[in-house]
Amino acid sequence: MALEIEQFLRTDRLPHIWCPGCGLGIITGAFLRAILDLGLTRENTVVVSGIGCSSRAAGYLNLNTVHTIHGRALPVATGIKMARPDFTVIVLTGDGDGAAIGGNHLIHSCRRNIDLTCILFNNQIYGMTGGQFSPTMDPGGNATTAPYGQLEPSFDLCRLAEAAGATFVARGTAAGVRQIEKIIKQGVQHPGFAFIEAVVPCPTEYGRRNKPAKAVDMLEEERKRSISVSKAAKLSPEELEGKIVTGVLFQDVERREFQSTYAETVARVKDAELARRLAEGAGE
Amino acid sequence: MESWHGHLLKERVDQSSLLIQGNRACVLGALDAGVRFYAGYPITPSSEIMEAMAVELPRIGGVFVQMEDEIASICACIGASLTGEVAMTATSGPGFSLMQEALGYAIMVQAPLVVVDVMRSGPSTGRPTAPSQADVMQARWGTHGDHPAIVLAASNVADMYRLTMAAVRFALRFRTPVTLLADQVVGQMRESFSEELLGRYRLTSGDFDFTPGYLHPDLAREVHLPHVLGSGEYPHVTGLFHDETGFPTNDPEKTDKFLRELYNKVAHHRDELCLYDVKNEGRGRVCIVAYGSCARSARAAWRLADQEGLSVEVLHLYTLFPLPVEIVQKVARRVEFMIIPELNLGQYAHEVRKMAEQWTTVIGIGKTDGTLITPREILDRIAELVGKYESV
Repeated sequence: MALEIEQFLRTDRLPHIWCPGCGLGIITGAFLRAILDLGLTRENTVVVSGIGCSSRAAGYLNLNTVHTIHGRALPVATGIKMARPDFTVIVLTGDGDGAAIGGNHLIHSCRRNIDLTCILFNNQIYGMTGGQFSPTMDPGGNATTAPYGQLEPSFDLCRLAEAAGATFVARGTAAGVRQIEKIIKQGVQHPGFAFIEAVVPCPTEYGRRNKPAKAVDMLEEERKRSISVSKAAKLSPEELEGKIVTGVLFQDVERREFQSTYAETVARVKDAELARRLAEGAGE
Repeated sequence: MESWHGHLLKERVDQSSLLIQGNRACVLGALDAGVRFYAGYPITPSSEIMEAMAVELPRIGGVFVQMEDEIASICACIGASLTGEVAMTATSGPGFSLMQEALGYAIMVQAPLVVVDVMRSGPSTGRPTAPSQADVMQARWGTHGDHPAIVLAASNVADMYRLTMAAVRFALRFRTPVTLLADQVVGQMRESFSEELLGRYRLTSGDFDFTPGYLHPDLAREVHLPHVLGSGEYPHVTGLFHDETGFPTNDPEKTDKFLRELYNKVAHHRDELCLYDVKNEGRGRVCIVAYGSCARSARAAWRLADQEGLSVEVLHLYTLFPLPVEIVQKVARRVEFMIIPELNLGQYAHEVRKMAEQWTTVIGIGKTDGTLITPREILDRIAELVGKYESV
């Protein structure tokens, strides 16, 4: 499998820029195995990313890759998908890129239910700019811009995505590689907007200021806090406090997908236009 | 006229001409030039462009999307452009401000697209239903960093049609976004419009044909161009400085070379890009240099002056950037005064001054009250100048 995966990697661009212990590579690996398993063709697969550590993943993938501007991967991906419905378009973004500066695009992409897969790497921190808090940092966490502890509550991005209209919502962690690989496969296959939150450790910027501090301990913590959707269903909200609920949290295959609805509309309008012209022609 | 689109022809007055709004003429031009993708966000006084696109594009199998804001709109256009589509969006000042960062990205990744800015009056929300020409410098320097810019200005309904076509052509040929500036009056007024009328507004320079655009042959050598997504080349597209492979580089020599090539691909093709029209060539001591709706006043002032026995020249600029250095300097050498009427506090007069002040006296007439400059206002200023200098 390792050799097969290499066709999806720009090996000449490696080694990557990510720090030792970073979870981004683990999820990127899971992503590559997922698309290999799905049998996606390189020609028709487009990866769009924004700005930040996670968004650098695009550069290492031997696919059609677009590294856009901060927060705007989703609208660029929307333009690509609308222009080329035959493409499989996957957005790689982070918690700062996707939930802060790009938050508006995230909710509207969910609402539109356009057939994109959005994998949001959540490490609770801005790594590339040096450890400022992101909107997913838990209250009390420490960051260079929260030196006295994070004062703001954090987003639950999966609940946000579901409420905004995403029809596939799932969460996985770097500690549960097989699970997230499966989730990504399901998300890419889902006909509609698929939102996948991938919880990843950032030992360099997050771990430096918070506990646990070390990469392995962070992964272990993620593993311990993780609980599957089915198990979580049996627990009370109090018992779920501090847990990371993983798996497919929500899926709806009935709701209309935007691009195909648009294509149906075009067909309907063109038919009406043709009928009108024929009627006009008959009248002359 | 067969290619003109059904719904827009509701305003047809007879077989040969239309009474049509400027914003709708822009849509006709865009569709005739091959635009098949539009993403936008409504804003006065440009919304009619979006509304007409919403009706027309589905009928011809194109894509229309209303996005959540102007940033998303231009980003969706960039996405479509990267797949090889001809994409367009339209907006007004506040929306144009929001688009600036992405506009820089489009320049950097060489994604062709057209942005129409139907200018309104004032900073911030200003006066949405009053015209201005106050986005001239934003169109040139709105996005950060050194960058090339192609900026056209429409002065009437026919311009809205043909300059939209020119904008598409330039965008494709030079692989860069092109901004078409209009203002509330040009965008929302109705004028009769026909192929014959189009012919009457012939340019004296830079004539371009209306065949579908293609890549400028020189440019392929000048600058590395990213491949189209899905072409089988697996391109990497990035707003970071990149080398000929498309991948990021921090090499000082390579980044400098890339930036200069990007800049020069526009600056070195002024002969093709600079569209203008000279009226009453070489017959006056004064030349009115005008663009957009003020060019209409300038043309009327020239006729009025003629009746009053005063001869003035008119240089009507359709291309504001790249700067039409050659023609401005040529005219500057033969006139004593250059008058630049514009609906702002002298944004383009400053540019003309840079180009012409060693040969002539450059005087701006700026108006910012949300009304147009009348031919009489221009003429009075000219009479004042000529009179003042004659009495000395």
